[in-house]
Amino acid sequence: MSFVVFLGIHSLPGNTFVNERVRGASLALLLHEYGLDRPVLVQYWDFISHAVQGNFGVSIVNRGEPITPIVLRELSVSAELGGAALLLTIGMGVTFGVIAALRQNTWVDYSLTTFAIIGYSVPSFVIASLGVLIFGVWLFDVTGGAFYYPLTWDGTYGTVVELTVPAVALGLFTSSLVARITRASMLDVIHQDYVRTARAKGVKNRVVVVRHALRNALIPVTSVLGPLIISIITGSVVIENIFGIPGLGKEFINSILSHDYNVTVAVFTMYALLVGVANLAVDLAYTVIDPRIRY
Amino acid sequence: MTQPVLAVRDLSTHFFTDDGEVKAVRGVSFEVMPGETVGIVGESGCGKSVTAMSLLGLVQRPGKVVHGEIMFKGQDLLKLSNEELRHIRGRDIAMIFQDPLSSLNPVLRIGFQIDEAMRAHDKIPKEDISHRGIDLLKQVRVPDAAHRIKDFPHQFSGGMRQRAMIAMGLSNKPDLLIADEPTTALDVTVQAQILELLRDLNEQTGAAIILITHNLGIVAGLCKRVLVMYAGEIVEEGPVEQIFESPQHPYTWSLLRSVPRIDSNRQDRLLSIEGLPPDLIDLPVGCKFNPRCPFRIERCFSEPPVIEDVAHAQRAACWVTMTRAYDEMGAANITDTSPGAASGVHPQGRRPAADLAVAPAETLSD
Ligand SMILES: Nc1ncnc2c1ncn2[C@@H]1O[C@H](COP(=O)(O)OP(=O)(O)O)[C@@H](O)[C@H]1O
Ligand code: SF4
Ligand SMILES: [Mg+2]
Repeated sequence: MSFVVFLGIHSLPGNTFVNERVRGASLALLLHEYGLDRPVLVQYWDFISHAVQGNFGVSIVNRGEPITPIVLRELSVSAELGGAALLLTIGMGVTFGVIAALRQNTWVDYSLTTFAIIGYSVPSFVIASLGVLIFGVWLFDVTGGAFYYPLTWDGTYGTVVELTVPAVALGLFTSSLVARITRASMLDVIHQDYVRTARAKGVKNRVVVVRHALRNALIPVTSVLGPLIISIITGSVVIENIFGIPGLGKEFINSILSHDYNVTVAVFTMYALLVGVANLAVDLAYTVIDPRIRY
Repeated sequence: MTQPVLAVRDLSTHFFTDDGEVKAVRGVSFEVMPGETVGIVGESGCGKSVTAMSLLGLVQRPGKVVHGEIMFKGQDLLKLSNEELRHIRGRDIAMIFQDPLSSLNPVLRIGFQIDEAMRAHDKIPKEDISHRGIDLLKQVRVPDAAHRIKDFPHQFSGGMRQRAMIAMGLSNKPDLLIADEPTTALDVTVQAQILELLRDLNEQTGAAIILITHNLGIVAGLCKRVLVMYAGEIVEEGPVEQIFESPQHPYTWSLLRSVPRIDSNRQDRLLSIEGLPPDLIDLPVGCKFNPRCPFRIERCFSEPPVIEDVAHAQRAACWVTMTRAYDEMGAANITDTSPGAASGVHPQGRRPAADLAVAPAETLSD
């Protein structure tokens, strides 16, 4: 994985110093200083042997700046945004799905379903742009401009909208999908024999819905959670760039555009880590929620 | 005289579907005495399950109990609020179902599901609940109960699951246990074990049992009394031996002819009765069995028969009520009745039992 990225980024035309109009001997000197004149495989080996120790080297653009602390900070920013979007996805998606199922074929169901259809048909960048327009421009006086994250940002949000608006833009698609899946799966589960058994036992209706129906209805939801998390991570690149949030997604684009090889690879590695951890968590959640699954 | 534990009067449950009103249960009346074992039999689709679900208020939309009275311990269950009825369900009247795998929640441990039945009510003291779970599993003969109680349903065999369901049903020491086809999904040897278990539990706990099945052989194995249902109505009822010996309704007679033996390996292949049960949306006028009945007379097409006493403790709803002679003479007639003859011939042209039968009114007058 890191190898493919490494080869890919190094085979892009041009190099880090194109923009600086360095030529001839000084260029060769710079390339030599950052080891960029060596064969790609040697460079890769050099990179990977340090990377496994948690050292991603130094930035080539911001000469000498060590990368690891930067990407770690950016990782925490992205994880926070993604986490908020995921929370929204599960919380709002499941709640709305359950309500729609319990009120099947009533106006509540119809309006929630319509809302969900809009949610997963409008691209996230449209919603993000609308968010910037509404909260950043129209409501400037209320929000104080909101989306302003200074370069040396410490990761704390100035106003509530600073986190929620991007998180909604990022999580609306996935939460609409979860709402839809939850609704369908609740409708299926509510007619299952074990729900009837629970009623026949005299269990309270609220308990029947949550413990017996929802618990089982969440199994199909959990099974799509992995792909949904990937979709949130992918989406975060777009969202971070629109709102200017200094997370991994913004760094990713910047580093590619400026040929900051080491940073790009470090960002990629962080993403891979994120995906790996997320998938592990989903698998664990799966075994907890469905005892029939054994790995 | 002892009071019945359950007295159902004129119960009707209909389903209001897009195709029309499915009159699944119509004017059903019966009583169950304390500790009694009553069977409800009939072809599939005749309304047995809907009757049982109506008793506990478990009929879901588009279904609705449209009429009747369900007297249980001096109160009409149909007049109770949802919350009041919830306290009866699983506490005083318990129910177990046909498919023990789908009837148990796959993600909850067996022990939890049994305890839950007790926790939903306040009949069993809180501190007794956890060890009572194990005792119940022992009582329904689940080996190694102390360990198996922590299992999930998929770790149990079919028979064990049904035992767990029975344990759950008995956990609150109910007055009445409704078992809806409890053995249908199980293989033959397990069926016999479950029936034996129900029989023993009935003796030990004194809980009355309503056993619902399409298999008369299973009724014979457990019940003292039987109700025969056809197209949403009770067409005959009486003591099991008496009904087996001298059925008084042509439908019961055909059912008996098709009875599979519990110990035979083709037990689930019911020899079918000729013709189909009627459409519950658009029912035949008069007797609902008339399209399939070889004994029908003119009156069967105009007036529905009322269920009447036909012998001691035995009631049947048939204009041409059969006498003992029916067994010998009527049988011969039915044997050569092809489906065509049964439905194509004008009713007046074919009245095999008419001269053998005693009209219900005359039977009653003595
Ligand atoms: N949910 C439902 N919607 C419409 N009709 C139903 C529904 N449930 C049951 N019925 C009708 O009620 C009739 C009796 O069903 P049931 O009591 O389940 O039969 P059985 O005697 O096999 O237990 C069926 O023939 C069916 O037409
Ligand atoms: S003889 Fe008439 S009343 Fe009796 S079962 Fe047949 S059709 Fe019904
Ligand atoms: Mg049934």
